[in-house]
Amino acid sequence: MTRARRFDGVDWSLLGVIVALLCIGVLTIYSVTANGQGSKFPIFAKQGVWIGVGALAFVVVASMDYHKLARFSYILYGLGLLLLLVVMLSGKTSRGAQRWISLGPVAIQPSEFVKMPLLLMLSSYYASQTRSGWLYRVIVPGLLALPGFFLILKQPDLGSSLSFIAIYIILLLAVGVKPKAFGLVLLTALMIFPFAWGELWGSLHDYQKERILSFVDPAYDTGGKGYQGLQSRIAIGSGELMGKGLHGGTQTQFKFLPEGHTDFIFAVFAEEWGFLGAIVLVLLFFTLFLLGLDIASKAKDMLGALLAVGVVGMMAFNVVVNIGMTVGLAPIVGIPLPLLSYGGSATIMTMAALGLLLSVKRRRMTLVQ
Amino acid sequence: MFDRQEQSEQSNPGRRAVLCVLFLLGFLVVLLRLFDLHILQAETMTKRANRQHHKTITLDSNRGAILDSQGRALALNLDVPSVYASPVSVKNPRSAAKRLSKVLELSRPALEQRLRGNREFVWVKRKIDSEYATQVEALSLPGISLLKEKQRFYPKGTLLAHVLGFAGMDSQGLEGLEAGYEQYLQGQARKVLLHRDAFGRVIIPENQQDSERLTGHTIHLTIDEVIQYMAEHALEAAVEKTRARGGSIIVMDPKTGGILAWTLRPTFDPNHVSMLSPGQWRNRAVTDPYEPGSTMKIVLAAAALDEGHVKPETLIYAGNGQMPISGTVIHDHEKASWLTFREAIQQSSNVVAAKTAMGLGKDRMYRYLREFGFGEKTGIDLPGESVGVLRKPEEWGSRTLASVAMGQEIAVTPLQLVTAVSAIANGGSLMTPFIVEHVHTTQGDNVWSRAPETRRRPIRYETAQTLTSILENVVEQGTGRAAAILGYRVAGKTGTAQKVDPKTKTYSSTKFIGSFVGFAPVEDPRFVMLVVIDEPQVPAWGAAVAAPVFREVGAQVLRHLRIPPQRGVDVQMAAVGNASTSMIDLAHVSE
Repeated sequence: MTRARRFDGVDWSLLGVIVALLCIGVLTIYSVTANGQGSKFPIFAKQGVWIGVGALAFVVVASMDYHKLARFSYILYGLGLLLLLVVMLSGKTSRGAQRWISLGPVAIQPSEFVKMPLLLMLSSYYASQTRSGWLYRVIVPGLLALPGFFLILKQPDLGSSLSFIAIYIILLLAVGVKPKAFGLVLLTALMIFPFAWGELWGSLHDYQKERILSFVDPAYDTGGKGYQGLQSRIAIGSGELMGKGLHGGTQTQFKFLPEGHTDFIFAVFAEEWGFLGAIVLVLLFFTLFLLGLDIASKAKDMLGALLAVGVVGMMAFNVVVNIGMTVGLAPIVGIPLPLLSYGGSATIMTMAALGLLLSVKRRRMTLVQ
Repeated sequence: MFDRQEQSEQSNPGRRAVLCVLFLLGFLVVLLRLFDLHILQAETMTKRANRQHHKTITLDSNRGAILDSQGRALALNLDVPSVYASPVSVKNPRSAAKRLSKVLELSRPALEQRLRGNREFVWVKRKIDSEYATQVEALSLPGISLLKEKQRFYPKGTLLAHVLGFAGMDSQGLEGLEAGYEQYLQGQARKVLLHRDAFGRVIIPENQQDSERLTGHTIHLTIDEVIQYMAEHALEAAVEKTRARGGSIIVMDPKTGGILAWTLRPTFDPNHVSMLSPGQWRNRAVTDPYEPGSTMKIVLAAAALDEGHVKPETLIYAGNGQMPISGTVIHDHEKASWLTFREAIQQSSNVVAAKTAMGLGKDRMYRYLREFGFGEKTGIDLPGESVGVLRKPEEWGSRTLASVAMGQEIAVTPLQLVTAVSAIANGGSLMTPFIVEHVHTTQGDNVWSRAPETRRRPIRYETAQTLTSILENVVEQGTGRAAAILGYRVAGKTGTAQKVDPKTKTYSSTKFIGSFVGFAPVEDPRFVMLVVIDEPQVPAWGAAVAAPVFREVGAQVLRHLRIPPQRGVDVQMAAVGNASTSMIDLAHVSE
């Protein structure tokens, strides 16, 4: 590959939007965490490191042929499940949930790393599956996704398990099921969920239950009715049109709003940059997804299209649910805002997924030539 | 039931549309909701945000400083730590109260009571020593913090204590200038916006703590700290040496009425007033009148000369040292038959004083006393001023006229006396004494300035000149020789008054008040000084204890004011050393 060809098919506007979102994320993390802890290695700098690793993953995935990746998807998914098992057996417990594997100074969150293998696996399954009917369209892929879903739910990590199931449903929608059938799938999922939930509920400690209850149901929160959600709405609303400026967000700076650098980063940004800032941010995501859907619609094959739709769908689900919960439209389920929220595993996974998107686009370009 | 066409995305626009519509709807809803929160609910949410993290408390105002005439600080504010609690974040009120009460010497149950509950802010103990603050900090109890408050501090300790007064715990002026100039000194109450974080911890933004705009004004005194110190030092030594009960010195600029020094003994330290009683901090030189004794002969002489009743060289029969009056006898210490009026004042003759007063008559005597400001407030800018005791002539007894001439049956404040003598030193103008020269803002802008104020002219200029020359004779040759200052012309008058024994209601034969009032240099008086020594325990009359103090302080003041000595002044220094016996001018009365 010549130097010139190496950058063929690179979507500069896509890259621009991604970089802009990452910068907003680091700036906001800086704003929330710069005060207070005078750590030698501040959190926003750590996030910078994660973005560096994520950029590497992005380049590696983008330069690979997604067909090759799809071929290994079952193995990757299997490895992911293995990691989830390791978490269950010997993972690090934090805040009542066992989600992390310690690797020296850092802890990885395998639930994030299983999402992409699942997407690859389901996409290659649908792309290569010629038979149709209930069994092959719905049941078999559902069964493939189920072990990962349960292992994540068991941690418990409600947010990740929901976005896990979202990948399945988005691909289901993409390959096409009739609305009636789709409704049936949803209904089944809703019926199964309480049973699955009840099963693992009994195995939890009281304090874990309490934490999860307030996590799932803000009204249960001991700190007051829907404390987090309320604080988040107050932060956003008090940002008014123009915002309070960097470090000016009283609700976040005084720690009224918990998780300001992770799940509620949008509220921080909206408080400090106001309605205008929030609109710019939402429009950046919107542009990112339009570019992604454009790649999907121009993909050279079924696998490419499914992968692109899957990446966009997965991210869009996270963005809408995350912003939805900060503005009080969705229950607070602990889903981070892609590219902005602090977190190594999620950042690296999201950037790798975006690399996949670019990979799909580049194959298309090669074909045209 | 399922779409059986095995086609790529492109070939199925309907499905894609469903995804896109869902996608667009999601974003639209989010945007609408953001509009709702950011714009429509902005006001409500901002209010809620402010209510959560803002709470206003009122801290003491930052009082203005008190400076001397050269800008040296006499009273200022220091930052001192105060301990407060935010009970909402106090984890264990019982143990917190236990540990805090030990360090801060507080009652444990009362403190525990305060630490319970859901308030955001309560004081634990205010204005504590920094070592206690360090100990409280070391406890690092959740919900207990320190903030800086303003504590009034008098860097010179007892210096000028009675004039300055002091400010209370809440920074309000309670005594002296601190009370009298409260309207200028007191700053605006500092409303401090507390920021409260989600854990109820109170955060006070640093920049809010000191606002120059809110600080009270600075007041500049006429007091010269150097002269003040000289007076303090000399009085302290004199009181100690004579084992006196107390004393006072007032130094005034006769041209303006500005006070240069003002000191009392016993004194107090305004930094530590909690254990004292009002008797110790009362500014007795304005609040407590005393019978002045022979120093009042100055007023008698002024009246007689100004009325033309006598001339300095008029000969008056001194009755060989005694004169019967209303069944009692007035005695002089030095028996003489005929004396000029000048000699009579020089020797402080009671007989001549009584005779002169009787010649003047009650009404004229009373009028001059009033003209010189006795029986009325001087109008000095200090609180609690007394008018003294001066009865109306109709209420005078048969002996009163003679007594008043000798400084009995009349009570004056030291300030009244100094002010009256200043009217002689400055050529006949009775001034309003004052102690605050001007008031400035902290930025140095003038708020208020004092202009010297002449109340009236009790005597003519010539009378003042004549009387001055007589008073100069007192120091040169008469009872006031111990007050003479080498190289300068000094005028003055001694006074020794018997104190009234509260038990017998008669004049005590052992308790005296010795005083000297005078001014220098005669040709251009720069200061008038009154020295009063209360109940000296030495076998000598008052003049002998007060006049040397005048000389000591006067000499230092003249040097400090850089007034060159006059050559050829005839000062009889020889007499100073053994003057005690010849300077008895006691207004002695035997029944």
